[in-house]
Parts: sequence; C-alpha cells; structure tokens
Amino acid sequence: MLRAYDLYKAYKMGKASVEVLSGVSLSAKASEFLVILGSSGSGKSTLLHLLGALDIPDKGDVEFQGKSVFQRAKKSRENYRNRDVGFVFQFYHLLPELTVLENVIIPRLIGTPALKWLSHRREAKKEALAMLDRVGLSHRVKHRPNELSGGERQRVAIARALINKPTLLLADEPTGNLDEKIGAEILDLLSEFNSAGQTIIMVTHDARVAVRAHRQVRLVGGKIEKVVPAQPSPALA
Amino acid sequence: MYKWFLAWRYLHTKLIAFFGIASVSLCVAMVLVVMSVMGGFLDTIRERSRGLHSEILLETSSLQGFPFYGEFQEYLADHHADTVSMTTPVIYTYGIFRVPATKYTRPARVVGMRLNEYTQLNDFKQGLHYEHYFPGTTHLGPQRMPVGGIDANQRLVLPKDLEAANARWRESETDVEKKKNYEANPYEMAIYPPYVTTPIYGERVYAFGDDGPGYVGPKNSGVIIGCDMLNERRDDGDFDRFLARGADIAVTLMPISPGGNVTGEPPVRLPLRYVDDSRTGIYEIDDLCIYVDFDMLQHKLAMDPQALADGGMSRARINQMLIGLHDGTDLETGKAVVSAAWEKFLDSLGNKPSLMDVNMLNHTSVMTWEDMQRPFIQAVEKEKVLVTLLFSLISLVAMALVGCVFYMIVEKKTRDIGILKAIGASARGVAGLFVAYALAVGICGAILGTGLGVVFVWNINDIQSFLASLNPQLRVWSPEVYSFDKIPEIVKTWDAIGVAVVAVLASVAGSIIPATIAGRIWPVKALRYE
Repeated sequence: MLRAYDLYKAYKMGKASVEVLSGVSLSAKASEFLVILGSSGSGKSTLLHLLGALDIPDKGDVEFQGKSVFQRAKKSRENYRNRDVGFVFQFYHLLPELTVLENVIIPRLIGTPALKWLSHRREAKKEALAMLDRVGLSHRVKHRPNELSGGERQRVAIARALINKPTLLLADEPTGNLDEKIGAEILDLLSEFNSAGQTIIMVTHDARVAVRAHRQVRLVGGKIEKVVPAQPSPALA
Repeated sequence: MYKWFLAWRYLHTKLIAFFGIASVSLCVAMVLVVMSVMGGFLDTIRERSRGLHSEILLETSSLQGFPFYGEFQEYLADHHADTVSMTTPVIYTYGIFRVPATKYTRPARVVGMRLNEYTQLNDFKQGLHYEHYFPGTTHLGPQRMPVGGIDANQRLVLPKDLEAANARWRESETDVEKKKNYEANPYEMAIYPPYVTTPIYGERVYAFGDDGPGYVGPKNSGVIIGCDMLNERRDDGDFDRFLARGADIAVTLMPISPGGNVTGEPPVRLPLRYVDDSRTGIYEIDDLCIYVDFDMLQHKLAMDPQALADGGMSRARINQMLIGLHDGTDLETGKAVVSAAWEKFLDSLGNKPSLMDVNMLNHTSVMTWEDMQRPFIQAVEKEKVLVTLLFSLISLVAMALVGCVFYMIVEKKTRDIGILKAIGASARGVAGLFVAYALAVGICGAILGTGLGVVFVWNINDIQSFLASLNPQLRVWSPEVYSFDKIPEIVKTWDAIGVAVVAVLASVAGSIIPATIAGRIWPVKALRYE
C-alpha cells in the first residue's frame, strides 16, 4: 500500500548541512501496524513527515497505492494529506479556538467545497459525533482543548485524524507527552482501530510501546538498521 | 468554507483583532467626518450662492457699468417671455459706511436694488431679520425712525403699523417654538436719544420715544445692512443687535463717470436709515454689503442720464442685471437664450451707442449663477479634494496597522497554520483565511466607524459648544474663516458607503502580505514552531 524508495533528506544548520535521512526505503501493507523506532535525532519524525507529504525529500519518492506522492500536483498532495492520511502528533496540535467537535470536523470542512458543505454538514456532524463516541469523548464535544486532559486531547487528535476515513494513520510519538497509564490507553485505542483494519505507522523511541506493532523498523543515523518481522499484536492476543 | 468559519472564530476570540477593528473604525470615522463637513461646506456654498442671485446674470466687470439695460429688459420681455420670467437692474459700488452716533466707520460694498423685484428672483427676503417679525415693514424708500412708547393702557408698544405687522406674523407663524421665543423676549427698547450708546443688546432693538409710539427724525432712504457688519454673533449662531431699527447711517460714495474716472465733484454723502439687516449666510457678503434703493443710488452715482458737454444726454447705467427664468427651464439653455438675445440686441442697436457706450458694453458677459460663483465653488471643491486626500493618506496608517496586526497574528498562529496544512489546507486556503479575517475586521471596523462618524457629524455643533463651554479656546469653527454660522452636519449616504467600502478594501490590502507569508509557511516548519 505504501512504499518509500531511497529517501534522502538534509537540513541546513547555518552554513552546515546535516543529513537526517540517508537512503531509507520502507513499505507498509494494508491493515499493518508498523512502528519506526529510533533515538532522538535518528530521523524518524522526518521520515514520517515525508511519508505524510508534510515535507519534500531531497531524493527518493513515496508511492501510495501505486502512485508517486511527490510527483503529483500540489493540489493532489494536499488532497493526499486531507483524505488518504491522518496525522496524530505528540503535542496534539489542536486548534485552541475551536471546540472538540469543531476540531474533529475541520478536516472534513477543509476537504468539502462550500456549496456541498451546506448539504453535507449534518452528516459530517453526525460522523464526527460518532467518532468522538468511539474515542470515548461524547461528553466533551463542546469543550475547548484547554479544558481537556492530555489523554483527552490526544483522543480528539485521533478522532480528527480519522474523521475522513484515511487509509493511513501516521502517529508521531502519540504517547510521548502522556504518563504510562494514559499512554497505554491511547495505544489500546490505536490497536483497536488497527484491528478494525486501519493501517498505522507510528514513530516512537520507546521499545515498550513498539511491542504493540506487527512490525518494527529501527532507524539509526538516518538509515534503517533493523527490521523485526511481524508478530501478533499484544492488543490482539 | 473553513476560511470563513475560522475567520469568524478568530474575530471574536482574538483580542488583537479589536486593535485592527479600532484602527479601521477610527480612520473611517475621521475620513467620513472630514468628507461630510467639507461636502456640507460645499453644498451650503452652492445653495447659498444660488440664493444670492437669479438664474442668469448680465454683468459687467467694470465699475462704471453699462448702458441700454432698460431697452434690453423690454427686448427680453417682447421676444423671450417664454424663457425669461423677469429682470431687475442692480448697481454695485464701494463706499465708506458710518454710524454717526458711534463714529464707527468701515468700508462697504453698496448694492442698489429694487427690493420688490430683487426678492422675487432670489432668497434675499428670507434673510431679512425685522421683515420676518414685522412683515411688510422693510422698504428702501424714504422713511423716519420708528420709536416705541407707552400707549393709553400704559403698555410698552411700537407704532401701530409695526404692531399690526407683528400681529400678522404671529397669526401666520406655524413654528410654535419660534412664537414662544418671541413672547419671552419680544424686543429691547433703547433710549432715544442717544439710543445707540445705551448698552442694550437684543435680537430686536427699537428706540424708545418720550412722546409715545410713533416716528421721529427726517425722512431718509432705507438701508439694509449685512448682519455681520454691526451685530454681535452669539454662540448659538444668532445675533445680538445694539443699533435700534431706524438709526441714522451715513454712506459716502465716489461717483464714476462713463469714462471710468472718479467725478471731480466732492464725494456724495448719503444719509440713510437702518431698516433691517440681511443674512445670506456667507460671511464675506454679510460682513461687507449694504443694500439701498436702486433709483436713489443710480441718481447719487450719476449713473442716471446726465447732460453731456456736447449738449446730449448720457445713458443710464447699471452694473448687473438679474434675469429670472421660468420654472423648469434648464440653466444652460436659459443662458444660451439670453446670450443670443444680448448679441442680437447689441446688433440691433446699430450706430446708437457712442464710443464710450461701446467700450462699456464690451465688458459685459452673460453668465449663470454657477459661473458667477465658480471661482469660489471651485476653490472649495479643490479644498475638499485636498483635505479628503490628506486624511485618506492618514488612513493608509490604518492599512499599515492592519498589516502589522495581521503579521503579528500570523506569527502567533504559525503552529495553527502548520496544523491546517497537515490536515490538507492549501497555501491559497490558508492565505484566504487571513484575507477573510481581514475582510471581517474591515467590515466590523467600517460599520463601527461609519456609526461613529455619523453620530459625530450629526452632533458636531453640540460637541463644539460643549468643548467651548469647557474652554472658549476649543471653539474651532470660526464663522469669519468658514463663512457659515454652523458646521455642516449632514452625512451623505453615498459618502458613507464609499468610505466604508474603501476602508474594507484597504483592510484587505493591508492583510495581503501577511496572508501570503502565512500561505507560504512550510507545514513541517510550522509544526516545529514553538
């Protein structure tokens, strides 16, 4: 479903150029739960950003369902981010002015033309409420992000990432900002979605988190060092 | 759709947006006040200018005047009665105006008119003060001074004709407030003599005679005096008079011969009687002009037919002819008709005019009242454009401020921009969000500013009075400088709409650069932004 070929990415730090990714190739199958493990600065977030077309590689390409992501037109790449991929970030990245419901519904709003939205908005609201119910936040729909706990915010972020029913969910250290108990709850939730068929690629530095995945990829110094074969997810066990 | 949704949400949750709204609304209010005051100023000048003259004027630029006016009046009546409703001759000259009792002397422009005809052609009658309260009593013919006194019932009264005239006014006046004001303060009685030195001020002042109400003194021709020449302007825009109606006035004139020379005789001194004062509303006129009887002035200036050295007679002269048009006649059409008629009339004179007459006729021209006041109106029009332009330039500050406000918002919202892009928003969409936000700020600012400006203009005179009551130095509107008693207080709908639309566009323009910057922010950089 997703293949990354020979990805290179370097960032300029003043006059020096720091190579973050040095020829990374990777693939993920449909319904797979893939974890990219690595220490801080290993390039795992950069790799995730490239997979989600939030950044452009210096070299290499990403193929999604057989089509290149970076050779597409800009508009098509925006649609890819809106419909095919859902993002969950370590720091939740919710819009503070919007309520929980509005934060969840905003990707749908972005992806729907204004006129179509008028006829579509009730259905969108219904789906957003259903999604919030699924992540256990139906009682918090009118709250603002600053009125929620960290775990609740991350649940909202997951609901927002999945509202457009994306094929691929990209999660960047989703438990990195949470305590162990709440982190485990979030991982349970992700595993639940995965068991329902959602493909997930998650980035983490925590090996304890990684055991939930079907497959682990270890990234060291911008290169893939080790691939751990697929194993049953503890959540499914 | 999300652009409008988020713009609306930012508008009422971000305090910084209110700075943008405040700057836009203050600029809108400022420009609207300036445009309304200057526009009102211009409109008042137009309106007053129209009221000063007739539709068409036949005028000479030379003080010695021009002849054949009577013949031309007959010509117009015979040939163009369908266009021209009536005509009246006017003489202009300059003289020295003096109030003998106070030894007060100043220059004056002396206008000779046939009051009955003149007032049919323009709004002059509406500005006569005593004629308003004592209708039918103002005339420019020879007359004596009215004095009040005690009647048989021991009441303070004026001569019978004035009392009767005043009763007529009371019957016909429909403005109850005006009547009430009159009852509260009917008129002041100055002592006769020396009525003018008595420190009595009031809206209407009559002398008080020992022998009861009646008329005293010699019969002198009447003079109407511009209201700013003698009277004291009160804060409410009306006047206090201290010279009793009927007081003696002296005007000294210098007759000018048909050749344009001052005649060798001693200057003419006219003893006149103050019968009324005139308020055209234009300070330059009300502070300079006095009005006397046409025939008397023509005679005193030797502009009536005079015996010439060769045994012949010179022709009567005037300086201006007011020509009224029938209702509904287009001004330019009327001008064309009168111009053609004047040319034809001059041709028809053949050899009749002497060389001196021809010289005088060469200085005549036919113009409309607009042509006559054009230099003045154009100057004010230019002033309006200039002042509006200057204040619009100041409004660019608002645009820059909106730009700064939005730049700050973009800086503050960088992470949100990253989030929006991560969930599929395009660069155009993000830029559009900030433009929509600026549009909302502009619309709110324009609505508030228009409201503020309208309320300010409507109450501008009250505001000035209030400020002046705190400190007289804060009275900024000087009738001496701006011609009119009051600051214009009308806002034109189209002015308000125009200013509001420009403000909204300026606000949007101010957001373009920050919006473009927002659109170009790379999502990864934005998400890493702390």
